[in-house]
Amino acid sequence: MLIQKNKIFFLSIPLILSWIFFSCGDGNGAREEILYWSSNNTQEIEFADHLVKQWNELNPELTPIRFQPVPEGRSSEEIILAAVVGKTTPDIYSNIWQGDVEAYAQAGVLIPFDTLKGFNEFIYERCDSAVIEEIRSQDGHIYQIPWKINPIMLIYNKNIIKEIGLGKPPRTYKEFFNACELYTKDTNGDGYVDQWFGYSEVLVTWWQRFFDFYPLYLAASGGAPLIKDNKAVFNNKYALQVLYFLRTLYEKKYFAQERLSAKIDVFLSEVIATRFVGPWEIIHAEKFKPKGFEYDYTTIPVPDDFSGPVYTYGDPKNIVIFNTCKDPQLAWGFIRTMITKESDLKLLELTNQVPRRKNIDIESPFVEYFEANPKMGAFAKQSKFVRGTDTSPVLKEIFDIISQEYEACVIFSVKSPEEALRDAENAVNLLFLK
Amino acid sequence: MKKGLTPYLLVSPYLLHFFVFIAFPVVFSVVLTFHKWNIIAPMEYTGLNNYIRLFQDKLFLKSILNTLIFLLIHIPLQIVVALFLAEILNQKIKLRGFFRAAFFLPVVVSGVVVTILWEQLFGFDTGLLNRLLVTIGFGKVGWLVDPKVAMSSIAIMATWKNVGLYIVLFLVGLQTVPKHYYEAADLEGATHWQKFFKITLPMINPTIFLVVILSTIGGFSLFIEPYILTGGGPLNSTLSAVLYIYKQGFFYYHMGYSATLGLFFAVIILAVVVIQRKFIEGDS
Repeated sequence: MLIQKNKIFFLSIPLILSWIFFSCGDGNGAREEILYWSSNNTQEIEFADHLVKQWNELNPELTPIRFQPVPEGRSSEEIILAAVVGKTTPDIYSNIWQGDVEAYAQAGVLIPFDTLKGFNEFIYERCDSAVIEEIRSQDGHIYQIPWKINPIMLIYNKNIIKEIGLGKPPRTYKEFFNACELYTKDTNGDGYVDQWFGYSEVLVTWWQRFFDFYPLYLAASGGAPLIKDNKAVFNNKYALQVLYFLRTLYEKKYFAQERLSAKIDVFLSEVIATRFVGPWEIIHAEKFKPKGFEYDYTTIPVPDDFSGPVYTYGDPKNIVIFNTCKDPQLAWGFIRTMITKESDLKLLELTNQVPRRKNIDIESPFVEYFEANPKMGAFAKQSKFVRGTDTSPVLKEIFDIISQEYEACVIFSVKSPEEALRDAENAVNLLFLK
Repeated sequence: MKKGLTPYLLVSPYLLHFFVFIAFPVVFSVVLTFHKWNIIAPMEYTGLNNYIRLFQDKLFLKSILNTLIFLLIHIPLQIVVALFLAEILNQKIKLRGFFRAAFFLPVVVSGVVVTILWEQLFGFDTGLLNRLLVTIGFGKVGWLVDPKVAMSSIAIMATWKNVGLYIVLFLVGLQTVPKHYYEAADLEGATHWQKFFKITLPMINPTIFLVVILSTIGGFSLFIEPYILTGGGPLNSTLSAVLYIYKQGFFYYHMGYSATLGLFFAVIILAVVVIQRKFIEGDS
């Protein structure tokens, strides 16, 4: 009998230890500080460090803010997800991708900003109504503060544009094809093209479409959504024009069908003349460009009959407060200091990322900054015409579906643009039915 | 009493490991198959929905077919190449020790490193293999960009990576073949090929079966190569079953569905291994 009891006791040890092990992550204990996670790139760490020190010095009577970069991992998105699951989220997180917010909002792990004192007056001062509608959740609340954008534009090699006899970079599809025709070449005469006018990553990974299909779609449509009221609305003439445009680029070998990203920098080594990228390329290009290399940015190409402002994808990163925060009002007070004019200028100077605030291209002190940094000026002008992502908890799946159809239609031409759009539309609508 | 407690105390670390890392995940996975769960929101009971979806999922079927195609290319290639090299390395050749070590080297190199290396070889325009082909007068091959070729390219790479291990197994097999069989065959005037097919192959049959089983199990878990090289493309031609399960789980956080796919796939592997085992037992 005693042995039987001992058996039960010892067999229960692993179970008890397992229970302790799985309980470890439940970090809801009282915290005598507000924890802020920033992005882990050097410039943003410097920015966050500066702000937190300043806040703690100016507000010694308040709960202190502690800052740390988001822990290392394969991606910050995965780290945040793990923190949400383990209930070890920080109080404040800056740098959350706008497309992720809706899923977290629906899971109830975010604090709605519009319930905090002073937010509603603030947001209308910072952003225009289109941006506010873009960030509004499906339940009508606002769970994020628009912080910064990295608009996707067309970077081009100025020397090549001159060499091929063009006075300015291509603006329309027709001009783009013409430039492609002039630059695309088989330089070593082996019968295969080895110099292309442009390049876009051919992988089907969903977010790759932020650098080709999506900005081109926003440009062609004047910023139209992909989905509305849980229904696909992208099967339209704009998406069709974009797919035909992209398909032609691959059919005529104007764009490389293989991955060039694993090799040398194809833009700086003039293997390609253009690319769809954001302002982050400036720091890289300035550091590594060969002598005499000149480049600039222009808007995304548009259909030949297009008129009006050219929109693009803004790759917005925002600020959220998680519901593990004991004092959301205080956290909001700190966040307000992160997005003052002075802080936004500091962010711009340190990181080359554009604060998402209205009139940034005409208001001081930003104007002076853009005059001193003309390449960034292109992004300031573009910042009025950017879109983020549509509000949906299944955005990644939507982009994955589009990406699969993109591959079949654009890269391999095994589906017509009409078929690809119809199939993508049906698959996305099915997603909402599940 | 003290004596009675000690064994349980000694096995408790293993039991802890077993419950935490084996029993709990297995049971939890089975529970998950009846739920919809995206990790951040509470689990939602969905009955047999995940199983119904599985049988309607054409992409999962394609991923299983892709895995089988990979196995059909990889296993014969692996056996032929490993046996050929083992046969050479079993002879008294110069630098035999060096070659044995060299062929084994890729086995101990990280799969990620090997994959990145082969990406440089497989490049369409700038890859070394295509440069070589063009130099000797052939056309370029779309190693990773042609949907008809991509899975074969991955099979070639996987063979290169693993062949060293199977060479070792074959070497052990070859060295157990009694020498007097060959001596007798020599007296009868048998050719080299006759000796190989009539003596060597039948004698190393158990090793061949071992290699088939190990390659099958390893091949079913094909993941790193398509994940890094192609992402499952082009046109899902290299989307393996494990990669698809991973994508469902860790790209889209369809944990319930991913667990269902995993469970179903585990049953398939089990069935294949059981059939192979029956076959081997019957043969022996």
